[in-house]
Amino acid sequence: MAAGVAAWLPFARAAAIGWMPVASTPMPIPPQDKRKAQDGLIILNVSGTKFQTWRTTLERYPDTLLGSTERDFFFHEETSEYFFDRDPDIFRHILNFYRTGKLHYPRQECISAYDEELAFFGIIPEIIGDCCYEEYKDRRRENAERLQDDEEMDMNNDVTPVNLTFREYLWRAFENPHTSTLALVFYYVTGFFIAISVMANVVETVPCGTLPNRSKEMSCGDRYALAFFCLDTACVMIFTVEYLLRLIAAPSRCKFMKSVMSVIDVVAIMPYYIGLVMTDNDQVSGAFVTLRVFRVFRIFKFSRHSAGLRILGYTLKSCASELGFLLFSLTMAIIIFATVMFYAEKGSTATKFTSIPAAFWYTIVTMTTLGYGDMVPKTIVGKVFGSICSLSGVLVIALPVPVIVSNFSRIYHQSQRAEKRRAQRKTRLARIRAAKIRGTNAYMRYKQNGLLIDALEEEAGQALVGKAASPPFESQHHHLLHCLEKTTNHEFVDEQTFQANCMEISVVNKSGSRTSSLSSSPHGLSSCCSRRHRKKSSFSLPSTNNQELSTIQIRERPVSNSRSSLNAKLDETMPLKCDEAYISPSMVRLSAPVATSSDDASTATTTYSQSNIVRVSAL
Amino acid sequence: MGALMVIFSLQPKQRRKTTDSVEDELELSAVRHRPEGLEQLEAQTRFSRKELQILYRGFKNECPSGVVNEETFKDIYAQFFPQGDASTYAHFLFNAFDTDHNGSVSFEDFVMGLSILLRGTVQEKLIWAFNLYDINKDGYITKEEMLDIMKAIYDMMGKCTYPVLKEETPRQHVEVFFQKMDKNKDGVVTIDEFIDCCQNDENIMRSMHLFENVL
Repeated sequence: MAAGVAAWLPFARAAAIGWMPVASTPMPIPPQDKRKAQDGLIILNVSGTKFQTWRTTLERYPDTLLGSTERDFFFHEETSEYFFDRDPDIFRHILNFYRTGKLHYPRQECISAYDEELAFFGIIPEIIGDCCYEEYKDRRRENAERLQDDEEMDMNNDVTPVNLTFREYLWRAFENPHTSTLALVFYYVTGFFIAISVMANVVETVPCGTLPNRSKEMSCGDRYALAFFCLDTACVMIFTVEYLLRLIAAPSRCKFMKSVMSVIDVVAIMPYYIGLVMTDNDQVSGAFVTLRVFRVFRIFKFSRHSAGLRILGYTLKSCASELGFLLFSLTMAIIIFATVMFYAEKGSTATKFTSIPAAFWYTIVTMTTLGYGDMVPKTIVGKVFGSICSLSGVLVIALPVPVIVSNFSRIYHQSQRAEKRRAQRKTRLARIRAAKIRGTNAYMRYKQNGLLIDALEEEAGQALVGKAASPPFESQHHHLLHCLEKTTNHEFVDEQTFQANCMEISVVNKSGSRTSSLSSSPHGLSSCCSRRHRKKSSFSLPSTNNQELSTIQIRERPVSNSRSSLNAKLDETMPLKCDEAYISPSMVRLSAPVATSSDDASTATTTYSQSNIVRVSAL
Repeated sequence: MGALMVIFSLQPKQRRKTTDSVEDELELSAVRHRPEGLEQLEAQTRFSRKELQILYRGFKNECPSGVVNEETFKDIYAQFFPQGDASTYAHFLFNAFDTDHNGSVSFEDFVMGLSILLRGTVQEKLIWAFNLYDINKDGYITKEEMLDIMKAIYDMMGKCTYPVLKEETPRQHVEVFFQKMDKNKDGVVTIDEFIDCCQNDENIMRSMHLFENVL
C-alpha cells in the first residue's frame, strides 16, 4: 500500500474510537512498540555525495535494502553514516521514491545501469510511475532487442560445430548460404534459374516473325515451343529439388509448409505439373493458359535472396489496417460519385454510363487524374459532377499523399500507444489488485501467526515467542483491522475461502436435512448465499455456523489456512464462555429458536452454538 | 476523402485538450493554506512540539496544499481498508473533523480532532463519538442515523467475511445498541443517556484508552 499514507495511520487509529461504543466484542490489545520510533536523521553517503533523510521515511518500504536491517551492513562506524559505493545520480531518484512514493526514470540514464541500481537497492521496476513507465519499457525493449541481435550475429559467425546431423547441416546451409561454399553455389544457382525462368516467361510472348506457311505473326513461345518447354522443365526440376530438400531439412515440417516462402514455391511449380497431367483439350486449354500466369510468382522467390523485398513485405503486412482503411474510404468515394454520375447521365442518349458499375471505371480514372477519355459525361449536370469528382480526386490523391503517409504513421503509432496503454492499464490494475491482496494476505498471515503465538503462550504459560519482527507500521495496521473485526463481529477472509464457504453452504443447502422451518427473512440479499438465507431466519446464525464448520471438518478441504484459523478461533471463543459476565436480555430470545434447531444437532455443535451465542451478543 | 475523414476524427481530440487546460488552470489557483504558528497550536492542543512537527510533516506530504478535501480524505482512509468500501464512513468522519463545516479539513481541524481522540478525557472522547453518530447535529441519535453509521462500518468489512455478512446484520446491531443505550425508550439517544451508558460499560471504558500511545 502507498506508504505516503503511513503518516496517516495514527489518524486512522484515532478515528477507530468512533467504533468503540458500538462494538460487539472487546477490542484486542494494541501492539507494544518495543522501541519508540526514533525519528532521527540518517546520513546516506553515496560515493561522497551526502543525502540526509528521516529514518521513518526510509522505513516506509521495509522490503527494500534501505528500509530493512540490510542497511546495517553498510554502516560506517567512524563517521556514523551509511556508506554506499554506488552512483549518486541514480541514487537521487531512488531516494525520491522513498520520499514521494513514486519512482521516476531519468531519460538520460542508461537503462542497464538504472536496472542494476534498482536491483541493488531491492526495488522492483514495476513501481515506476505512469509518467515514466512507458519510456522505461520502450528503452528496455530496445535494449533487449539489441542484445538479441548481438546474440544472433554471434551465432551466425560461430564456427560450425562438427556434431550437427546431416539434416541440421542442410537446414543451416539453406538458411545461411555464406556458411559453406556448397550452400553459396546452390544459392547462386537457384537465383540464376529464377532469373532465367522469369525472362523466359517474358520472352515467350514477344512476336518473333512469321513462319512461311502461316500468315499470322507468332510469338517466340509458339515458334520455339520445344526449346522453351525444355527450359521450363529444367527450371521446374531445379525448383522441385530445392523445395523437397528444404522440406526434408526443415526442423518443423508443418511450420515450414505453412510459411509464406514455401507457399510461393509450391505456387511457382504447380502450373507445370498441372499442365503435364492435363490433356491438350480445347476446353481446358483456356484454364491451362490462366495457370501459366501463376508462373510469374517465381519472381517472388527472389525475396529469399533480397532482404529489402522481405522488409517491404513486412511493412505492408504491418500497415495492412491503415491501407485497408484508405482503400475503404476510396471505395466509398468511388461509389458515391459513380452513382451520382450514372443518374446524372441517365437522360442523355447513347451514353456510356450504362450502369453504376460501368460508372466505377469513369470515377476511378477521373479521381486518379488519369483521364483516359473513353468515358466522358455529356449532360451539363454530368459535367458539373464530373469536375467535382476530378477536383476531389486531386484532393484525395495528389495533395495529401505525404500528409496521409505521415498521418498514417502517426495514427499507427498512436493506436499502438493506446493499445499499449490499455494493456499496461490492465497490468497496472492487476498490480494494484496484487498489492491489495498482498496487504490482506499479510493480515491473514499475521492473524495465523498471532493465533499460533497465542496457542503457544497458552501451552507454555508464558510468552515464549515475541511477536514476529514485523515493522511497527504493519503491526499497528493489523491491529486496526483486528479492531474492526471485533467491532462488527465478523472476520476478514480471503477470496478463495469466501468462495469455498459459499459453495459449501450452497451444497449443504441442497442436501439440507437440517434446514429448519423458521421464519424466513424477506429481504433479497446480495451475497451469494442468498438462497440459503431466505430459508433460515437471522437468529439461527449460530447453528448455520455449525453446519459450515461441521461440513468443513467432514470434507477434506485443501485450504488449510481457513481451517486452522477457524479451529483456532473456536478454541479462542471457548474460554470466552466462562469469562463473559454480561448476558443481555437479548440472549434469552436467541436461545429459544436455537434449541429447536439444535434438536438434530450433535452435542458438539450445541456447545459451539452456545459459544457463538456468546460471541454475537457480547454487549 | 480519406484525408477529410482523418481530419474530422482529429478535431474532437483538440477540443478535449482545450477543456483540459481550463481545468488545469483552475487547479493551479487552488487554495493554499498555512496553519497557525507552532506555539499557538501547542497551546490549543495537548500535543508536544515534536509530535506536532511529526503530524504536520505527514499531513503536508499527503496534502501539499495544506487542506484536505473530502475526496482526498476518502482516498487516504480507503487505503487502510483495501477489502471493503470505506467511503461512507470516511464521509461521516470528514464531517466530524470539519468542525466549521467549510468543506475542507485544515491542519488545525485535523490536529484538534486528534488531540481530543488521543489525549482527551474519556468524557471528551465520548462527546466526540456522539458527535460522529449524530449526523445532522441536532443532539439526538435516531435509529436511522445509527443505521447509516452501522452500514458504513460494515461496508468497510467488504464482501469476503466470515461469517458471511447478511443484510439485516447492521439493523440487528442497531437494535442491540438502542436496547442498551436508550434508557427511556423514546426512540432516540441523547448525549446524557449515551455518556451515562458508556461510562457504566467496562468494555467501552477500557477500549477508550486503547490508542493513547499511538503517537
